Amino acid sequence: MITIEGFQAAFKFWMLFRDGLICTLCLSALTVLFGFILALFVALARMSKFWPLKALATVYVEVLRATPMLVQLFIVYYVLLAGVQLPTFRLFGIIPFERFFPGVIALSLNSAAYLSEIIRSGIQSIDLGQTEAARSLGMTQFQTMRFIILPQAIKNILPAIANEFVTIIKESSICYTIGVQELMFAANSVKTAIYSMGEPAIIAACVYFCLTFPTSKIIAYFERRMRRGDKR
Amino acid sequence: MATSDKLIQVQDLCKHYNHGALHALDGVTVDVNKGDVMVVIGPSGSGKSTFLRSLNLLETPTSGSILFDGVDITKKKYKDETGKTVKLNIDIHRQKMGMVFQHFNLFPHMTILDNMTLAPIQVKHMSKGLAEEKAKGLLARVGLEDRAAAYPIQLSGGQKQRIAIVRALMMEPEVMLFDEPTSALDPEMVGEVLSVMKELAQAGMTMVVVTHEMGFAREVGNRVLFMADGKLLEQGPPEQIFGNPVHPRLKDFLSKVL
Repeated sequence: MITIEGFQAAFKFWMLFRDGLICTLCLSALTVLFGFILALFVALARMSKFWPLKALATVYVEVLRATPMLVQLFIVYYVLLAGVQLPTFRLFGIIPFERFFPGVIALSLNSAAYLSEIIRSGIQSIDLGQTEAARSLGMTQFQTMRFIILPQAIKNILPAIANEFVTIIKESSICYTIGVQELMFAANSVKTAIYSMGEPAIIAACVYFCLTFPTSKIIAYFERRMRRGDKR
Repeated sequence: MATSDKLIQVQDLCKHYNHGALHALDGVTVDVNKGDVMVVIGPSGSGKSTFLRSLNLLETPTSGSILFDGVDITKKKYKDETGKTVKLNIDIHRQKMGMVFQHFNLFPHMTILDNMTLAPIQVKHMSKGLAEEKAKGLLARVGLEDRAAAYPIQLSGGQKQRIAIVRALMMEPEVMLFDEPTSALDPEMVGEVLSVMKELAQAGMTMVVVTHEMGFAREVGNRVLFMADGKLLEQGPPEQIFGNPVHPRLKDFLSKVL
C-alpha cells in the first residue's frame, strides 16, 4: 500500500536520495564522456581498411551487444577488476570509488558498443562526394573527418545519441547491484528503513524522469540549431 | 595559348576492376600543357570520368604513371631536386588541382563564405580576414556577392556550380578539373556555368573538362580527346575532331550527339 504517511517517512531520508542523485549524475556523465570517446575510436576501427583492427572492433561490438548489461557489470567487477587494488576514497565524501569506478567502466564499455554503431551509420550516411570534394581541396583525411564528415554525421544521428544518453542514465541504476550508492541504491536503503518499497520507488522514478526528460529536450534543441543549413 | 610546358604527363594509365575483368582505363597516354583547355568527350562508360578522377588520385590507377610538375604522383616516394628520396604527400598535389564535380558537392552545413574559406584557412593557413576578402572578390566575379551568408540549399543548381568553381579557385590551383559540370543542371542553367568556365579559359587557366557540351568543346577547347572503352581513340584541335573525324567510333558518336 502506498500512503501519504509512507511518503512522509520516505522524505525524511531526503539526503539519501540527494546523495544517490549526485552519484547517478556522476555515473551517467562520466559514462557519456568515456563511452562517446571510446565509441568514436571503435567506429573508426570498424571502418578501417586494416583487417585485424576491423575484426577486433567488430568482435567487441557484437559481444557487448549480445550479452546482458548485468552480466557485463558482474564480469567487470568480479573478474576484470577483481585483482586490481583500487584506491578506497569517497568522491565528494559520499561515493566509494572502488565500487563507482567498475560501474563507470562497465557502463562505458557497454554504451560504446551501441554508440559506435550509431556513429558508424552516421558517418557512412554522408555522401562520398563530400569526402572527395574536401580531399580535392587538399584537406587531409583528419581535416575532412573533423570539418566535413563529423559535423554532418552528428547532426543526423543526434536523435539516436539522445536516446542512448537517456538509456545510460536509466541503465546506471543496475550499478546498485555491485553496491554503488546511486539513486536505486538509495531507494532500496529507504525501503529497509520504512518497511515499504512503493514510496521510495515512485520517488526514484520521478527523479529519473527529471533527469532524462530535460536531457532529450536539450539535445532536441541542439538538433534544431544544427538544422539551420537545411532550411530554404 | 598553348605552350610546350608540360603540366601533366599521363603515361599508359590503366584502371582495372574485378581483377582485370573490366578495363575502365586501358593504356591512356596524353600530356596536358600549361594553358590547355582540354575537353574530353565520349559515350558514357568510356572511362572519361575515371581518367579525370585519376589525375588527382580520387581513383587509384592499376598501372601507369601521372607526372604532375615532374613528380610521379602514382608512386609513394619520389626524388626531389637534390636527389633525396621523399615521401609523396598527395594532399599537397591536390591543392594545386582544383576539381569541380557533377553534383557540386558543396558542404551543406556551412555558409557559402565558409565553404570557400575553409580549405584556404585550414590547409594554406591563410588568415580569416584575407580568405574572406578573397572569397568576396571571387563571388563578385561570378555575380554572387550577395549570397555569401546563404547556405547551399538556398541556391539554384547553376549558382551552386558557380560556387563550386570559385571554391576550387580559392586554392589558386595550377589546373582545374571539371567532371561533367553541367550534367546535373536544368537546361536553363547550363549557360551561366559554361560562361564562367569560358571566362576562366580566357584568363589562361589550364583546364581538363569532361563534358557532353559539344558547343563548349568546339568553341572554348583548344584540344579535344575522344575516349571509348577506356581507350583514347582520337585527339586533336576541335576543328579536326568535329570537322574531319577519322575513327569510326568517333564518327558514330558525333552522328548521335550533333
